[in-house]
Amino acid sequence: MTVNWAQVLFNSTITGSLYLIGAVGLTLTYGLSRFPNFAHAEFITLGAYIGYSVAEQAGLGFPLALVVSFLVTGIVGILCYRGIFQPLAKRGATIIHLMVASIALGFILRYSIGATWTWKPLYFTTTWSAFNIGPLRITGLWVWLILTAIALAILMHFILVKTKIGKAIRATSSNPELALASGINVDRVILITWFIGAGLAAFAGIFRGADTQIWPLTGWDIILPIFAVTILGGIGNFYGAIVAAFIIGLAENVGVVGLIALGLSTSYRIGIAFLILIITLIVRPEGLAMLFRRA
Amino acid sequence: MPSILSVENIEAGYSDVIIVHNVSITVGEGEIVAIVGPNGSGKSTLLKSLLGFAKLFQGQVFYQGRDVTGMAADKLVSQGIGYVPQINNAFPNLTIAENLDMGAYHSKGKASIKSAMGEIYNMFPELKVRKNFLAGNLSGGERQMLAIARAMMAQPKVLLLDEPLASLSPKPTSVIISKLENIEKAGTAIVIVEQNIKKALSISKRGYVLIDGACAMEGDADSLFTEESSRLRYLGLEAKGN
Repeated sequence: MTVNWAQVLFNSTITGSLYLIGAVGLTLTYGLSRFPNFAHAEFITLGAYIGYSVAEQAGLGFPLALVVSFLVTGIVGILCYRGIFQPLAKRGATIIHLMVASIALGFILRYSIGATWTWKPLYFTTTWSAFNIGPLRITGLWVWLILTAIALAILMHFILVKTKIGKAIRATSSNPELALASGINVDRVILITWFIGAGLAAFAGIFRGADTQIWPLTGWDIILPIFAVTILGGIGNFYGAIVAAFIIGLAENVGVVGLIALGLSTSYRIGIAFLILIITLIVRPEGLAMLFRRA
Repeated sequence: MPSILSVENIEAGYSDVIIVHNVSITVGEGEIVAIVGPNGSGKSTLLKSLLGFAKLFQGQVFYQGRDVTGMAADKLVSQGIGYVPQINNAFPNLTIAENLDMGAYHSKGKASIKSAMGEIYNMFPELKVRKNFLAGNLSGGERQMLAIARAMMAQPKVLLLDEPLASLSPKPTSVIISKLENIEKAGTAIVIVEQNIKKALSISKRGYVLIDGACAMEGDADSLFTEESSRLRYLGLEAKGN
């Protein structure tokens, strides 16, 4: 079997970019709200459907689909936090209560999406140019995806380090009580983070949907590796998430080569992220956080 | 002296357990008031209850004559009440400069924040030279200094300090005390909760002694410190060899 390693590395970058876009929101809301929001999967799905509606049904194009999808899903994120998780947290709900509530919310959103758009898979009809560079096969969508991930990493770094709200997000994630005692409106910081987090999940949904298909389990299909990125990167740690996304992207794509060499189905690739997640939790539960203490 | 902060008949604690019983305290403008007492006497709980970090079962809190009972901590800070917790009092993942930035979170305008930071660096030159260091890398004394400086960024009229001298060796203790005296001279009232009774009363004008969550004694710091009965019965200075 001849392996095109350049293509494997490029595919790893594509996978890592998708996981990064999906994981940034999850890790930030996890760090601030102190629970894993499983409904993040449905934010991804909802974003994909809204993007599809804007780009395909309204015919307004892919860039506008990204913007509208970010805004609408971001607002849904705010409503979910204000309507469900914040009241629960203020009444003393534990991480288990909040996690179960997020799973329940995920089911409700998933079946509501199915009822609205049906369970039949949908496909973006936008045709992306494809070209070769040396041994690499590249499509315009993948270039968009990688550039979006790079832009996101730069923008988020700027926000977290240079802006008042970004520093407040890092401060609140580190010590919410001290943040309050510093005069930070913690509720507002968390709301803004949920807006950004859900909005970015929508980006991930659109790219995933444009690359494969859209159906009510679009987000669920990739939530496990996204959680693996969050755990490996260190909960709430944006910089750790960047590295973790590309580690898991690489592991998955190299793993696929291994699965093929062993004559196994490539659908086991999802198990690679699960394996990394389990190993991280056993060996280094804090993930890569210690490498990026400024997050 | 007009009162800037007064708490009346406070009962506070955690969950359903009342730790502080019917305590009333008054702080005048620009004065240092010590709240002392043995470990577990409810000093820190009293302070935390004022900001909502412990449960306030009963009582009222007045700031500049206005009832601020139950007001959220971030609002109290913006009104002029600063608070420095005993532990976890700096953001370890933020630099010194970023920690100070967070102290001025509610301030409007870059110019006023820059001016406040300039004043803080004049008061704490030790922090200026290390402003780009992560707070997590600071020593205990430096971190305590940063915590006080962060609270001062909001230009509070009254500063609540929860055991600022705890676990500090003599040199940083003296440095912190000298900083507190400077803050008082600048006109900020200070409420200092301390187990280091001698040090706390030495810089305070008045003091309160809490025993088992209740106020056992109050008065001028000098009289509290010199009164033989308090020394023996409440402060335990002889037992500690102070």
